[in-house]
Amino acid sequence: MYYISAASTISHQPAFLNAGFSGVIEPLHAGSELINPDYKEYIEPGLLRRMSKILRMSVACSGACLKQSQIEQPDAIVVGTGLGCLLDTEKFLNNALTIKGLLPPTSFIQSTHNTMAGQISLRLGNHGYNMTHTQNSVSFEHALLDAMLLIDEGEKHILAGAADEHIEFLDEISRNLNIKPAPGLTSGASFFILSAEKSERTLARVKDADAIGLVGNIPEKISMFLDRNKVKSGDLDLVLFAGSKVVTKDEIEEFQTFMKMENLHCMDYLKYSGIYPTASAFAMHFAADKIRHTRSLKNILICNSLIHSNLGLILIQSVEA
Amino acid sequence: MEDLKEELKKQLIEQLNLEEISPADIDDDTLLFSDKGLGLDSIDALELIVLLEKYHGIQVTKPEEGKEVFRSINSMAEYICKRKS
Amino acid sequence: MSVRITGIGIVSAIGLTVQENLLALKDGRTGIMPFSFRNDNKTFLAGAVRATNTDLRKELHIHDQYVSRTALLGLKAACEAWQNGKHCDEIRTGLISSTSVGGMDLSEKFYSAYLHGNNPDFEILRMHDSGSTTEKIAVELGISGYINTLSTACSSGANAIMLGARLLLQGKLDRVLVGGTDALTNFTVNGFRSLMIYDEQWCRPFDESREGLNLGEGAAFLLLENEKSIRFSGNRTLAFLNGWANAADAYHQTASSPEGKGATLAIQKAIEKSEISLSGISYINTHGTGTKNNDLSESVALKNVFGEHMPAFSSTKSFTGHTLAAAGAIEAVFSVLSIQHQLIYPNINFRSAIPETGLEPVTILQTEKPVSAVLSNSFGFGGNNSSLVFSNHE
Repeated sequence: MYYISAASTISHQPAFLNAGFSGVIEPLHAGSELINPDYKEYIEPGLLRRMSKILRMSVACSGACLKQSQIEQPDAIVVGTGLGCLLDTEKFLNNALTIKGLLPPTSFIQSTHNTMAGQISLRLGNHGYNMTHTQNSVSFEHALLDAMLLIDEGEKHILAGAADEHIEFLDEISRNLNIKPAPGLTSGASFFILSAEKSERTLARVKDADAIGLVGNIPEKISMFLDRNKVKSGDLDLVLFAGSKVVTKDEIEEFQTFMKMENLHCMDYLKYSGIYPTASAFAMHFAADKIRHTRSLKNILICNSLIHSNLGLILIQSVEA
Repeated sequence: MEDLKEELKKQLIEQLNLEEISPADIDDDTLLFSDKGLGLDSIDALELIVLLEKYHGIQVTKPEEGKEVFRSINSMAEYICKRKS
Repeated sequence: MSVRITGIGIVSAIGLTVQENLLALKDGRTGIMPFSFRNDNKTFLAGAVRATNTDLRKELHIHDQYVSRTALLGLKAACEAWQNGKHCDEIRTGLISSTSVGGMDLSEKFYSAYLHGNNPDFEILRMHDSGSTTEKIAVELGISGYINTLSTACSSGANAIMLGARLLLQGKLDRVLVGGTDALTNFTVNGFRSLMIYDEQWCRPFDESREGLNLGEGAAFLLLENEKSIRFSGNRTLAFLNGWANAADAYHQTASSPEGKGATLAIQKAIEKSEISLSGISYINTHGTGTKNNDLSESVALKNVFGEHMPAFSSTKSFTGHTLAAAGAIEAVFSVLSIQHQLIYPNINFRSAIPETGLEPVTILQTEKPVSAVLSNSFGFGGNNSSLVFSNHE
């Protein structure tokens, strides 16, 4: 069993340091901004000055998460990111193609995907297992699976999370590829402490997760996942899925029919998180928060097919389920 | 020389993205790499090498040279004048 | 508990197949040569793979309009390790690759054209992200389900191998293809230059006069199988993976700590896990990039662990160049070959030891010493340190 001892998110929703946020979320509207905490409270100016968006979000989020859990040193740090450090990658690429002389190194150093996990371990002085997963839309699920594997292997507390950042160039790419994502492309970060044992701080438990690449029959895979966890579709209190249009009643019905699960209570989480590769991490925090604050909820399933060839599944249960 | 030092302070702040600091906060003899001074690190040292080339046309080919050269604004200014003459 | 290695595949500056690489290692022939990108007059030393994208596409029957070189190199090596494996529902198969540049070889060409207003095709960018590179390999080999990519800079390849082993031992998969791939890009060459650790001369790992690394490109994959999968595939076991560990240095974003803390931990834990004694290690394939920092830090770590009883060691990066994410996987293949053929490779370009540690690597190919267990180190940016232990027994 895997218990969520703490969770922290930076997003368009008032989630940061706000337990119960799942009750006050609102769909994104045009012009909606990311709600940034005061990063100075988490990161010294000397380091903050260099940090891109994705890095400061990850460091602040993981810092808040650890504080919440009252754990000083996690046994391991595992991070998922779909596109990595885009700001620094773009900056260095630009420099490399335009500057004739010496190139400033900072953006190169911070362009590697594992900068987040590395910085977090640096700040904590943590010498444990440190990993970064990058499998586009299922990067977070893979990080979560790795964290679960570590607990199976005997570790006690894992800091696991995901982050992705938006740069304007992504919008230009979308326009040129005729992709019209709605709601818009954005950034986000969510971090969790996954523990081997429950405590009074536990929000919820992760019953199971899966990341299926080149998935064929999605409803079949979802059924198999539920079967092996001895959960019937009727037991699901809520299904969070990655819709790709502004959700209409039609789309929910479409999803229910697609899943052959009528009467399913569904919610498109992208409507609240915005679109970024690891948005399913937001969904997990939302699910854990909702279950913690609503006694009657027992099972929440997260179905992430943000990219249709991949399927990420996470089954969140209440601690007593 | 004084103008050069003022210039260096501005360039340093920009190159290293020291958002919270103004030239008035940096003394000519502030130890740039000491925790009691500006607390810069080895990545900053490389950035300063870029700064020297970009703004003053001076090349520092070995990163180890940097230790003495970048001790303070004073030592940087002295080095620039020496290399230019 | 150990894991069986039943397939290996590799493409590097010293060969397009396992056989070619082995021959070059035996002959002491480096693959690092003067190199320049097309349309660029800057020449530098690098370990480029002697095959154009056109050659690779032809051999691999790739007809897509845009495929990154990273994916092509990866696919070449993966095919060799996969050995035309068959699929069946009862055998759960996975693929774990790793990369630092992903499709950057294509993206940077795109971006250059874009900055010059040359109307490049945005479709090229679909191949940019690391995950797509791995997915391409999966598609070609018919693998679906567990498809994953790790990216932890220079330790990535070793980490992919480690994750694969863990999944097998925890019963999540029956067989898994694990490895890494990275193509040479302007981005990385310029990056290491900006850090002032790219040597203008041939790199000299562990040498007093070392000035930095030479980059390389390549890919390598290993096939790990459990007993059930081996009964199905009929593959022979080439060697065993007995121990592994990953430990963070937590010292600095790019430099390794002078006392080699993370490296020491990784080496110690990997050997402990293997249950092989320190004296049982026949050879160490070091990370040995040729940078002032790594080689000193790694030497200190080795001394911390082995003290006065240092096994024979060498860095093969003076053969292949530093292949970033692929390095851990390429060197894992070299470690398997070392055990299979009882070889200890020379550390080319070495003349005199680092004064602070006095350690001397092997400089001539050894064929007489028995090789039963090999330690392979891969230490990356961000202080990510991984060590693997291979042997000829379970």
